[in-house]
Amino acid sequence: MTPVIGPPVVTTAAPPRRSTVFLAVVRSEWTKLRTVRSTMWALLITVVSTVGFGVLLTAIVVGQWDKRSIAEIRGFDPLLYSYAGLNVAQLCIGVLGVLVMTSEYGTRVIRLTFGATPQRRLVLGAKVLTFSLVVAVVSLVSCVTVFFICQANLAAKHAGVSIADPGVLRAVLGGAVHMVLVGAIAVGVGAIVRHTAGAVAILFGVLLIIPGLVQLLPAPWNDDITRYLPNSAGAAMSAIVRFPNLLAPFGGFLVLSAYALATLVVASTVLDRRDA
Amino acid sequence: MIEALGLTKRYGADVAVDDLSFSVEAGRVTGFLGPNGAGKSTTMRMIIALDAPSAGTVTVGGRAYGSLRFPLHEVGALLDANAAHPGRRARNHLNWLADSNRIPRRRVDEVLGIVGLTDVAHRRAGELSLGMGQRLGIAAALLGDPAVLILDEPINGLDPEGILWVRHLLRSLAAEGRTVLVSSHLMTEMALTADHLIIIGRGRLLGSGRVADFIERSGGHHVKVVTPDADALSVLLRDEGAVVSVDEPGQLRVHGLEARDVGILAAGAGLTLYELSTERASLEDAFMELTDEHAEYRGSSALAEAGTP
Repeated sequence: MTPVIGPPVVTTAAPPRRSTVFLAVVRSEWTKLRTVRSTMWALLITVVSTVGFGVLLTAIVVGQWDKRSIAEIRGFDPLLYSYAGLNVAQLCIGVLGVLVMTSEYGTRVIRLTFGATPQRRLVLGAKVLTFSLVVAVVSLVSCVTVFFICQANLAAKHAGVSIADPGVLRAVLGGAVHMVLVGAIAVGVGAIVRHTAGAVAILFGVLLIIPGLVQLLPAPWNDDITRYLPNSAGAAMSAIVRFPNLLAPFGGFLVLSAYALATLVVASTVLDRRDA
Repeated sequence: MIEALGLTKRYGADVAVDDLSFSVEAGRVTGFLGPNGAGKSTTMRMIIALDAPSAGTVTVGGRAYGSLRFPLHEVGALLDANAAHPGRRARNHLNWLADSNRIPRRRVDEVLGIVGLTDVAHRRAGELSLGMGQRLGIAAALLGDPAVLILDEPINGLDPEGILWVRHLLRSLAAEGRTVLVSSHLMTEMALTADHLIIIGRGRLLGSGRVADFIERSGGHHVKVVTPDADALSVLLRDEGAVVSVDEPGQLRVHGLEARDVGILAAGAGLTLYELSTERASLEDAFMELTDEHAEYRGSSALAEAGTP
């Protein structure tokens, strides 16, 4: 029963470059991501909720259209209802992003991961990149799909927009970028907190609870602060009409990117310092 | 080769590993032995740079593990056999590990064959038995065909056939010139598997050396005598300079005299002997003796000072 393995091979080749290591880890992370069932389920729910809620709410708006006042029609953002589902989708992506890190801590796979790649920042980078690409594809597909279905529906009331109209392509892409950045933040929070329940609670608190609390503040504080919350900064990217509590689209992008960057900087620092 | 120098790990006021220095040579199986909580796993985690030492250094093949790129080609480790995503299939578990170090996928098939998991490779890790999980962990350690292997309690959860298999595997890996460090809290298993021992207790080095020397040096042997004339014989033996203790009524434990001498003395005095035998100290006894005051989890007497190594 003695296995034949052969003597160890002594490698004399030059050590692989950092970029080579990074690409290998990206491939490894891609393998990890597609070989657990939770990934498929969470992404499926993401698509269904993005498209489903958008289509449903837009259909309701269209049904009630004739009861709207002129002012309401004038302030109507043709994408607002189409992209209502992103509020739910970001939670799915958030949970999945958290799990990218915390499921490894929960199953102690993290020790294998860091044992195989002691360059922990590269691991974090590879996880963020891989997950972001997946989220980008999935949310782009669902954002584009829901856009065309909803606008076709709104067109009946002459309230829709074309993808060629100014700012519309940007808004459609903005919806996907919003999801990618939320995903990156979630991976970072997962890396910092390490426990699924704790990380999800923090993420949901930031995305859902804090905006509600801030709205209770007296004006103009409520809108002034809301503008800079991750949720609103993300929503600004896919808005066509300017709302008082939203930044300009590019401003929203910068603010949400800053949140993501800050989270990931903290995450990579603690990953390097802590015992695995 | 693995080399530790003054390796120390503190958790607040607790010292898990205390100024530990040792070297693990290639071409033999080195047993890393100590009671539970002695610091074996912590030491192994520091070797592969999962935990940072509070002081001291440890190198593998002359280099710090943390500086290695694609380390699986050089060091294979099994630290926690249950470390696998329960929903991921066994083969995929090895696939992602292989990918991370640019190990070709055909090597995954090879190691699955070596550990005998080819037929269950499609099963999810959570559906594997304890022993199969252990084999999967060993497969992961062998993936990069490394010259250095570090295995933490690899026989845990294995059936007798599996234990035999691991024993053969470790010995053949060492025979190929690899460095094999294997931890255990079971002295008897180490006596069968290891050539060399590093023994620690409460994070400190208690001893190291060849297994054979270790038994000889620390335990020695004594003579067991069963006799109806225990009192008379004891007096006689002590007069000859032996150290005699009473194990139970009518049974003596004699240090300092050979069985032959005891027999001659008894015959000269006309004393009856029922039984006369030389008892070699087992490795287990030697281990217990060494680690006695170093075991962390014992009765209240364990609070006594650990003493010097």
